[in-house]
Formats: sequence, structure tokens, C-alpha cells
Amino acid sequence: MIPPVLSSLIQVFIFPGFIFILSYAMFCEWVSRKFVARLQNRVGPLYTGWEGILQPLADSIKLLAKEDITPKAADKFVFALMPVAVFALPLTAIFLIPIQSLTNLWGYSPIVSFEGDLIIVLFLLSVIILSIFLAGWSSANRFGIIGATRAALQMLAYEIPLGIAMIGPAIFARSLSIGKIVEWQAQSMHNFLSAPNLMAIPVALLLAVGFIICTVCLLAELELRPFDSPEAETEIVHGWQVEYSGKKLGLLRLGHDVKLVLASALLTSLFLGGPIGPWPIPPVVWFLLKTAVCVLILSNASALFARLRIDQMLGGSWRYLAPLSILYIMAVQIIAGLM
Amino acid sequence: MGKREFTIHVGPQHPALKEPENFVFKVDGEYVVDVEPRIGYNHRGIEKAMENRTYIQNLYIVERVCGICSNSHQTCYTQNVEELLGMEIPERAKYIRVLLAELERIHSHLLWLGVAAHEIGFDTLFYYIWRDREVVMDMLEEISGNRVNYAMPTIGGVRRDIAADKIPKYLKMLDVLEERTKFYKNICATEKTVLARADGVGFLSKEDAIRLNAVGPNLRASGVASDIRADSPYLVYDEIPWNVISYDSGDVFANVLVRVDETFESVNICRYCLEHLPDGPIRTIFSPLGKVPEGEAVSLVEAPRGELIHYIQSRGTDKPYRYKIRAPTLGNIPALCEKLRGGYIADIPIVLAGIDPCFSCTDRMVFVDEDRDKRWEMNGEQLRRYGVEWYK
Repeated sequence: MIPPVLSSLIQVFIFPGFIFILSYAMFCEWVSRKFVARLQNRVGPLYTGWEGILQPLADSIKLLAKEDITPKAADKFVFALMPVAVFALPLTAIFLIPIQSLTNLWGYSPIVSFEGDLIIVLFLLSVIILSIFLAGWSSANRFGIIGATRAALQMLAYEIPLGIAMIGPAIFARSLSIGKIVEWQAQSMHNFLSAPNLMAIPVALLLAVGFIICTVCLLAELELRPFDSPEAETEIVHGWQVEYSGKKLGLLRLGHDVKLVLASALLTSLFLGGPIGPWPIPPVVWFLLKTAVCVLILSNASALFARLRIDQMLGGSWRYLAPLSILYIMAVQIIAGLM
Repeated sequence: MGKREFTIHVGPQHPALKEPENFVFKVDGEYVVDVEPRIGYNHRGIEKAMENRTYIQNLYIVERVCGICSNSHQTCYTQNVEELLGMEIPERAKYIRVLLAELERIHSHLLWLGVAAHEIGFDTLFYYIWRDREVVMDMLEEISGNRVNYAMPTIGGVRRDIAADKIPKYLKMLDVLEERTKFYKNICATEKTVLARADGVGFLSKEDAIRLNAVGPNLRASGVASDIRADSPYLVYDEIPWNVISYDSGDVFANVLVRVDETFESVNICRYCLEHLPDGPIRTIFSPLGKVPEGEAVSLVEAPRGELIHYIQSRGTDKPYRYKIRAPTLGNIPALCEKLRGGYIADIPIVLAGIDPCFSCTDRMVFVDEDRDKRWEMNGEQLRRYGVEWYK
């Protein structure tokens, strides 16, 4: 039997903690890059490892070795701190998401879980954008400042729909804990299979709407097209990241990958039933499969559109996304009340 | 400058500009208040170099003014020299020159469409268009032997002939191009995010377009149906049936439509040339040591980017005494600044790219002292010393 301390350490640092999440994040970057490349009729990464699977790792190592420049005018402390924050915050949020239990092959539980951890995840998502804003602002570069302002403006637009969309499943599950939401999904799936019930149809439809709203908002959170104006390469030269180089840029890139995993893990846990699946396959495999599908959905969307201007993004979000999400939450309330 | 305004420099190094050029923007939040262009980062002294080389050598120098519209420059140059020589080139050579010019226009317009898609962040469209542009590149390679600098027109005709048995293959390639361009026109006209970024962006009124001397597709997008090929036909453009394309909305979207429709026109012109290619020789001989009689000449060509003007002055030797090139981008810069004012920062790249700028063709070096109203030029050594002093 593994002593509890050791088991906790393994959970945090090896599985399903740091090492597992980081390698999965790099894998997701590769999947996303390869998939977008194929959509665009390119080959994508090819040379490092099998079909370029090690390319994200190679990029990170390369960036670690590069010269690290801090601009003279930058606020040095904040400038150095923010890449760490952008990297650490999404990693922290993933700890709240159930992946796999260490002791039981068929069990799953988050590393940390308590009533209200969904709110913490939402809070962390906002703090990530705040760190992005500070990162751009502290670099004292004009393009950086424009990018930072755009990131903050964008947050004003998508944060409320995102919060509302995520609260939907929580209302059905009558719990603000991600773990319990997953359990509710497992339970209701079980109930539905044993005794089919017409009430399941509106619930499933509403969850699908929530999934769509959530996906759109997460595209903006991840700064993927069509919402990549904070780092618009051709306009403002990579926006808030423009002054970052070397180790710091490496951390930012890794942070972006982890954010991609966090986004797909959230979609998976809240709408797709998390790590649950038919019996012979362990939860972690289901989790990986479902998150990979979410990564594909996100990168597919990012290859399909042109970049929207920031004012178009704000207008569209307040005109369509926010009212839609309010209608959605009203419907959720009514259906949940009827159940 | 007001409290809320600050300046941003786009260029000389910026991902939206493929060539070094500097634009200083005064911005207020996301709005552009004013713009000041500064050209001259890529001056190569081509005109001076031409004055030191023989007419045949100059063929290859003038071709390197531009990487994309190289054929237009060469055509313009050869027309100048032929006018001074009083030389009439064979019909077949004229048709081949037109064919080359139109193929170049197709390749340039498709390239532009791809770049425009890239500037608004639609990379998928960019990759697709550039993939299909390879068809016309292959065609140019097969006809001339080169993908970029074709070296086809020469003084007195063209350098290589078109084999009769290859013509059906070329016609098939043109069909592919036409079909793919139709597909892209459809995408640009229906995809919502593209329309959001192009419709009504970078407006230039008809009056401003004329007043500010806009040229080429940029002018035709503002509703002025002016095209050198129709206004003062050279080669055989008056024998070939084709239409001048113009749209009157004056924005980036009109620029897209003008270029796409011109691609269709060019495909039709190429078809006509291939089907009606007259027989006969492809050139009259001009000796590499040949001298050109005294005189001066101006020649106009409609390059893919607009009106191209070349001026030549000869003193009866084997080298031109003075050569002057006005590339279309220079004519478009004042109009470009007008388009940029009052827009968004996010629209800078697409509006900049909207005129299809080619700055290295444009750059020139004259020193002007505004206070004393004096102009002068410097030689290489003086320029070097000036640079050393400036950056000390």
C-alpha cells in the first residue's frame, strides 16, 4: 500500500499532475498544429519524432536556450512574473478537474475537490486574462499595450456568457463542484439507460446549446481565430507577447498549451460526461479521447474563419452571445425546476 | 498631439509589410487619426546602374526592379528601346508578350488575394489560393523556363517560342485557374468574417482617387474605368476582345472584386492569344553591341498593380544616357494614406495590402532641403559618409 503522503505527491507531480498534464498539453499542441495544417493543405510538423510529435517539446527546449531580453522601459518584476502566472494558473485549474484515481483503476476524482470549485475555475480563467493584460502592459511596447487592451476588452465581452454557460450544468446537478457535476451526468445517463424518460431530451438540447456558447467563449479565451485580435500577428506583431523572448516566451507557449487542455477538459467535464465511459476502458483514456475531440473542435473552428476586429467581436458578443446565454440559463432554470 | 493620442510605427520591419517601408500612425485608442509615410528604405540605385550598362544588359537589370511584375518592366523597357530604334516587332512576338503579361497578372492577382486573406487572419484561404497559384507558376515556367523572372521579352521580340503541341495543355491549365478563381470569388463574397473585414473598409471616393492620382486596380475599385491597355493600347490589346473592370464602392471588397474579375478577363485574353497565335518569326535581331539613335521616349504599360511609366533618353551610344522608372505603388501612396485615415488599427494591414504595394520598385533617393528649396543628389561615397555621420 502506498503511504498517503507519497500518493499525494505522485498525484500532484506525476499522475495526473504536472508531468502528465504537461506532456498531454504538448501532445494537444501537436494534434492541433497537425490538424490545422492538414485543413490548410500543409503537412505541419514532420521531422522531430514520429510525424513531428516531439516538435512542441523541441520548440520549448529551443526557447529555453535562447537569449532572454527584458526591455529597458519594462516593469521588470511584473514582466518576469507574468509568464509564470500565465503558465501556473491554468495548471492549477486542471487540478480541480476529475481525471483518474490513483488507487482505483476504474475510479476518478480530482486532485483537489470542494463545493464551489467551478467558481474557482472561472476566477482563475479571469486572472489568466488579467495576467495577460499585465504582461502586455508591463512590456512598455506600443503593440504590447494595444494587444493587452484588446485582451482585456475581449474578456469583458465573453466572460459573462462563459460564466453563464458553465453554470448551466451546475444548476442541473445542483452543485458547484465539477466532480459532482460529472457524477450527476453519470447518474442521469445511467437513469436514462435503465428507464428512458422524455425529460432527457430538453436537458440534452440545453446542454448542447451550453456547449456551443462555451466553445465560442473558450475560443476567445484561448485567443484562437476568429478572436485572436490580442495577438494578431499581421496587425500588432503578436500583441501582448511581442517583447517576450527565451525562457519567458517558452513559459507563455507552454501556458497556452495548458490552457488548451484546460479548455477542452472543462468542456469535457461539464458537457461530455468527463472521464466516464463504457466499462472496459479506464477513465483516463476516456478523458484523453474526449479532450482530444474538443481540441479538434477548437482548432477546426480556428482554421475556418478570418480574424474579427475587436469592435466586431465586442458587438457580436453583446448582441448575440450574451442574450443567447441569458435565454439559455432561463430555460435551464425552468427545466431544472420541472425535474 | 492630444493627450490620448500616441504614435505607432508600422515598418520598416513589420509582419504585414513584406518589404521595408515606414508608416507613422497617430492613433487614438483603436482609431487611426493620421498617417505619415516614409519611403526610401530599399533604394537600390537601379536607374543609375542602367546608365552604366548596355541595352542588352539592361534587359536583365530592369527585370529585377520587381519580383512579381518583372515582365511588365521588361515589356515597358523594350517598347522604349524599340521606339527609339524605329523597330517593328513581329506579330507573333506581340501575342506572346501579351500572353506573358496576362499570365503574370493572373499570378500577381492570385498572390494578392492570398496575401489579403493572410492580412485579415484567414490563413486557410491564403494556403489554398497559393496552392492553386502554382498552376499559373508552372505554366510560366513551362513557357519561359523560369518561375519569377521570365526573361522573355527582348529587344526586337521575345526570346522563346511557344510550341504548338503544348497549347491544348495550357488551355486546360487556364480552365483549372478559372474554375478555382470562381470558387474563391464565391468564398470572398459569402464568408461572413471576410465580408466583415473587407466591406466598407478603407474607403476612397472617386474624386479623391482622381485627385490623389491613384492607379491600377486601386483606381478601378473607386469607380474610374481607366486602364492603360484600353486607354492607350500597346502590343495587340486593341485586337483582343476584353473588358475594363471597375466597381464603385471604393473599399477593400471592391479591390478584391476588381482583381478577381480581372483574373477572369486575363484568363480569357490568354485563351484568345493561345488560340489566335499568328505564325512567323518571334524576333528581329538586335546586336548586343548595337547603338540606339539619339532621342527620348516614354512608354506606358498596365502592370498588375497599375500604370507603369518608363522614360528613356539616348545620346546615340550603346548605353542609355538617362533612364527613369515610375512604379505604380508610388502613384498609390497618397491615396493609400487617405484610405488609412479614420480607420481602425486592425484594418491597417488589409488596407495597406489593398493597394498591393511593392515598395522596393518604388524607392528613390533625392535630397530636398525644404527651407532653401534646393535639391541635390549624392554619389555612393558621399552617401556612405552621410550615413556614417547620421548614425554616429
